Amino acid sequence: MDFLTLFVGGALPYIAIVVFILAMAYRLYTWKRLAAPSMTLFPAPADESANKKNVLKEAVLFRSLFGGDRVLWGFAWVFHVVLILIFLGHLRVFTNVDSMLMASGMSDESIKAMSAGVGGAAGVVILIATLLLLARRLALPRVREITGPADYLALLLIGAIIITGNMMRFGAEHFDLALTRDYFAGLATISSVTAEPALQNGTFVLHMGLAFLLIMCIPFSKILHFGGIFFTHQLIRKQ
Amino acid sequence: MSDGNVNTKEQVVDSIKAMKDGPRAMRMYMEMCVKCGTCASVCPVYYGKSEKRYNPAERTDLIRRIYRKYNTVSGRVFGKAAGAEDFDPGDLEDWQAIFYECTGCRRCAMFCPFGIDHSVITRKGRAILDKVGMTPETMAKVVQVSLETGNTDGAGEAAFRAAIDFLEEEMKDEHGVDIKIPIDAKGAEYFYVPPSGDVLVNPEATMGVAKVFHALGMADSWTMSSKCFDGANYGLFTGNDGDMKADNKLYVDEAKELGTKTMLMGECGHAYRIMKMMMEKTSWWGELPFEIINCMEWTADHIRAGRLQFDKSRNTHPVTYHDPCNFGRSCGITEEPRVILEASCSDFREMHPNRGENWCCGGGGGLSAMDDIIDFRMEISGKKKLEQIRETGAKYVSTACSNCKRHLTQLLEHHQEQVEVGGVHDMLSRAILLNGKAAERDDYL
Repeated sequence: MDFLTLFVGGALPYIAIVVFILAMAYRLYTWKRLAAPSMTLFPAPADESANKKNVLKEAVLFRSLFGGDRVLWGFAWVFHVVLILIFLGHLRVFTNVDSMLMASGMSDESIKAMSAGVGGAAGVVILIATLLLLARRLALPRVREITGPADYLALLLIGAIIITGNMMRFGAEHFDLALTRDYFAGLATISSVTAEPALQNGTFVLHMGLAFLLIMCIPFSKILHFGGIFFTHQLIRKQ
Repeated sequence: MSDGNVNTKEQVVDSIKAMKDGPRAMRMYMEMCVKCGTCASVCPVYYGKSEKRYNPAERTDLIRRIYRKYNTVSGRVFGKAAGAEDFDPGDLEDWQAIFYECTGCRRCAMFCPFGIDHSVITRKGRAILDKVGMTPETMAKVVQVSLETGNTDGAGEAAFRAAIDFLEEEMKDEHGVDIKIPIDAKGAEYFYVPPSGDVLVNPEATMGVAKVFHALGMADSWTMSSKCFDGANYGLFTGNDGDMKADNKLYVDEAKELGTKTMLMGECGHAYRIMKMMMEKTSWWGELPFEIINCMEWTADHIRAGRLQFDKSRNTHPVTYHDPCNFGRSCGITEEPRVILEASCSDFREMHPNRGENWCCGGGGGLSAMDDIIDFRMEISGKKKLEQIRETGAKYVSTACSNCKRHLTQLLEHHQEQVEVGGVHDMLSRAILLNGKAAERDDYL
């Protein structure tokens, strides 16, 4: 096994998670610590609980963006909702979601069918949404002129993760759920994973490596907006 | 590089580095933008001319690039690839132009998916310019005059008293009765603080306020000040907090000196915003012995309670209302002017969009006072507003802000529109009934 596979398979997940948690905690700490004098923008929610509700509306429905740019809202909302679906789908690899689903009455076959159907569709839809976001960025002067290398890199990285993910579902090197579970169980118990057969799958290693790279980059890049949105809207809507 | 340049660079870089220490908005705006371009699609300036320099995210990036260079890990490690760049003092001249091409209207914050308020960064950019002595001359002069004389017009007490005498005579002519405008009356319950424009340039609004007090039988319960008759405060626009507070303190001290119970702010958006949303909210001068309200809230309350009567046939021409950004988006005063206009005009029409989503006139953020950028204001920043006004077919644009009024008057003249511009209490002044009679005069329009 080459060094890169060993690094991605044996070290990167730990590094990425630690970096992500520490850097994100640092961000949240610094934001929380700073003075936030009110700079109300009207119409504003009447009180703090209404303000919190408004933040949820922003985070879940992208309320402001809906009024500002309906097309982008469509692309972005689909992208993020499918992203969450995909995240939930990946939980099957790390946790015993299957037994919970079976307890609720689903058969093993129907779980597999759902995974293939919904999961497969999600992979296609998010790829389309990402391409649309990229096309928009390239096509509209007002977006293109403010786009820098970091913005393209983020989209390319996400695109590469999606494509490698889809390759494992639709391509020749189909991933094996049982082997992948064994591998992550090994990681979780901090035992040696170098002999895990899951790491024989090159597409899987690439997919996972890029995904953990993305997770590690979140606190240092524009993807920080995933945590920041819960703060910035409150700032301008606080009475 | 000369010593002066080294010094300038240090000052600018230090100011930007310090943004990581807050306020929270400042730091988060440096770290959060996803470059989606929504701000540009809702910005009046970018609507007027879709060029990179007018793109709000690009303007903010002027500072953000330097912030990244000095304050972020990614910027230090990856440099330009992470959007980080060092500050070049040679750019300051461009900065001076560009930070005074944002009207600070906050419309971007309304629609940004993260609520990023670019006006905050515009003001920071201006504060940096001010620190290195590069505030545009016109603006620096207004601040200086205001701090020296207590008003942005540089008018002395004699000019003020003459203007008030004139207004009292006008009102006597209109109604045949004495309608007082008390000056320096200690112990008066209400202390009226208009923009000086509403005394010296478009004084009808002040007449309107005087008539409301008269109609309510409260002519003795209010006063103006011969020293403090201009709530305008350009420290907000140059980004200099020290100047803003010094200017503000004159008025708060005068209100205490007069023993007023209520500071009644006039039709001036940024003056009311500073008093109500900044000074009072963040307690610049501790506990205040008076409350702060706006004259439009006050009058609208009396109209709603049925205490004022009008003859709408005095204002039959189509009237529309332009929401000043500082009243609408920044103070939430949107219904009150409409209550007054609906009561006093027979053909009130909304422009679209309106209230919190209304477009800036194009002269916000103090730009209205800058005739050195008149072409920009007439052709670019005011373009959307002109279209909005044309769509209403209105013959009178009412707005509660001296800066909006000045800019709109120039804009409509420049584009040869036969549309008058004035205040809200102006319309009231023409239609309010005193002893059952409206003002007798027919030379308004």
